[in-house]
Amino acid sequence: MGITHYSIINSHPNVHITSVADPSGAVMSVMSKYLPVRTYKDYNDLLKTEDIDAVLVCTPPNLHYPIIMGAAKKGLHVFVEKPFTSKLTEARELVSVYRKNGLVNQVGYVNRFNDVFGKVKELVSNNIIGKTIRFKSEMFSCTINKPDESTGWRSKRESGGGVVFEMASHAIDLVNYLVDKPDKVIGTSFSHIYSKNVEDAVSSTFLYKNGISGTIYVNWSDSSYRKPTNKIEIFGNGGRILADQYSIKIFLSSANELHNLRQGWNTLYITDIFKQVPFYVRGNEFTRQLYHFIDCIQGIVKTNICNFADGANTLEVIDSIFSDYEQNGKI
Amino acid sequence: MEQIDKIILGDNQFFGINHMSQEKAQELAEKFYNLQNIFAVYQIAFDAGIRAVMLNSNDRAKDICNHFRENKTKYAEVAWYPSVPYPHKYANLIAEKGILPTINEVLFKGNTTMEALNMIAKGGMAVLAKDAMKMMQMLVDAEMKMFKGLNIKVVFLQNIITDLMLGYDVKEVFFEYCEYIRKKYNAMPGLITLNMPYLKAKLEEWDIKGVVICTSFNKIGYLMSPDVDTYIQAANTNNPTDYTLMAMSTLASGAIPAKQAYEFINQQQVQSVVFGASSEKNIKETISLITI
Repeated sequence: MGITHYSIINSHPNVHITSVADPSGAVMSVMSKYLPVRTYKDYNDLLKTEDIDAVLVCTPPNLHYPIIMGAAKKGLHVFVEKPFTSKLTEARELVSVYRKNGLVNQVGYVNRFNDVFGKVKELVSNNIIGKTIRFKSEMFSCTINKPDESTGWRSKRESGGGVVFEMASHAIDLVNYLVDKPDKVIGTSFSHIYSKNVEDAVSSTFLYKNGISGTIYVNWSDSSYRKPTNKIEIFGNGGRILADQYSIKIFLSSANELHNLRQGWNTLYITDIFKQVPFYVRGNEFTRQLYHFIDCIQGIVKTNICNFADGANTLEVIDSIFSDYEQNGKI
Repeated sequence: MEQIDKIILGDNQFFGINHMSQEKAQELAEKFYNLQNIFAVYQIAFDAGIRAVMLNSNDRAKDICNHFRENKTKYAEVAWYPSVPYPHKYANLIAEKGILPTINEVLFKGNTTMEALNMIAKGGMAVLAKDAMKMMQMLVDAEMKMFKGLNIKVVFLQNIITDLMLGYDVKEVFFEYCEYIRKKYNAMPGLITLNMPYLKAKLEEWDIKGVVICTSFNKIGYLMSPDVDTYIQAANTNNPTDYTLMAMSTLASGAIPAKQAYEFINQQQVQSVVFGASSEKNIKETISLITI
């Protein structure tokens, strides 16, 4: 189950949580003892029994497809954690099912709701740095910092484990969101740092028919990072943007008075651009993405910022990365 | 309700934590790699009149506690305000293994205390998982071990845990935590939160009193949910004998100059301020600016 998802969505005044499903008997017994919810070990029983409007799917990714298909049969709005599904074919099928049924569908690429990256999107969309030419999207963490002893889902690529599915998907989605989906992936390399069966670091180059190119580099075994960190750099013909979760540095060849940016370097800190959320657990973006899901269900917002089609686009890039690696990434 | 210190020295500056700039954080982490540099800052603060220290139970805090325990007579007047747990240790483990295996590892791996051994004899996690409150108590004990023998005034629960549990809306967790801290550690229970007005309202509803609430408080509303006005109102209507309010992030990670920041804080109904600074100039300036 989603530990933080429960906490955040439970704070929403228009949401009532009726039930939770998780195969762990221990977790479910704690839940049923302290919380006013019904618990299920099997999600099928939950879907069969409960009279609900929407479901949050926070399981390992290889279970997303059957759960969402079950939810679709019941006519439920769905929020699903990234990376959407573990197979592109399944993702495309879900996109088509939800396109037809018109229900709200969202994938948990949380960076789209981050204060800083939201601002970068605004700047890039307004051509502040002119036409995008190159970019660099990076992500670092020390999530995996010991030799592999686990046999959990994270150690198997088939179940959505490995740094590409689990973490690089964020860096890729950020590229899709801020630049566009690449037309071709080349130059992929993987590193095994601690894990035996899956990759711990990845780098790739993305190419676009319109001439844009860029790189991604993601490493989840870098102990120099205390917590997960995203960095993005976008170079355009009118300047450059460098951003992480804390600040944006903008270099402009000429001033932009409309956005109050001068020629040369400008720095915007998170403290200059944050927008408060009604309830804070892990970061503004985590609250904002789940509240956005509810806003879409209530019809307050018409367009979902990260729908299933966006999730499928990221999976398409992930597929290209793996096939590039298989064809060209080994000596 | 017992009084707490008005001005408390925090610890973010020592551990490479800065909510605005990673470069600044990295610079500080390098500077304070050598523990002697941390002790030197504490000495400056003590010389300037500070008698209270807030410290999170991270790996380096162990060595800091050892130093002050070994020199206890010299620092007899210093009151300690530990905060537990160190969240990133758990975040990585939970991400990799899941929540119950993580708790299992933290509580039982290499833990040779009688209580842990007894618990393993009774069935370890399988039994413990049925008693969430016992589990919470054992987790607190595991984190508090390093502070043993120090003069502990308040034991704070880190905001990531407080606010996570606040979302679950379960009275027992808060009630049992507060009771346990009072009984076991003879200290005041403290809760760090980024949702102060909501937490305070919930504690009132649950009739849990005598709690220190530590919360971000700055004039730009940074890390303050839902907003500044609601915070000010909650503080204005607070009875300090029920809840002692302690302000943190008063400079909003450096976004507000100290003078302006404390002009604002001095007008608020807060009883205490925790601040992070590492130079003599900044420490002395902060002390002189706080007139709550």
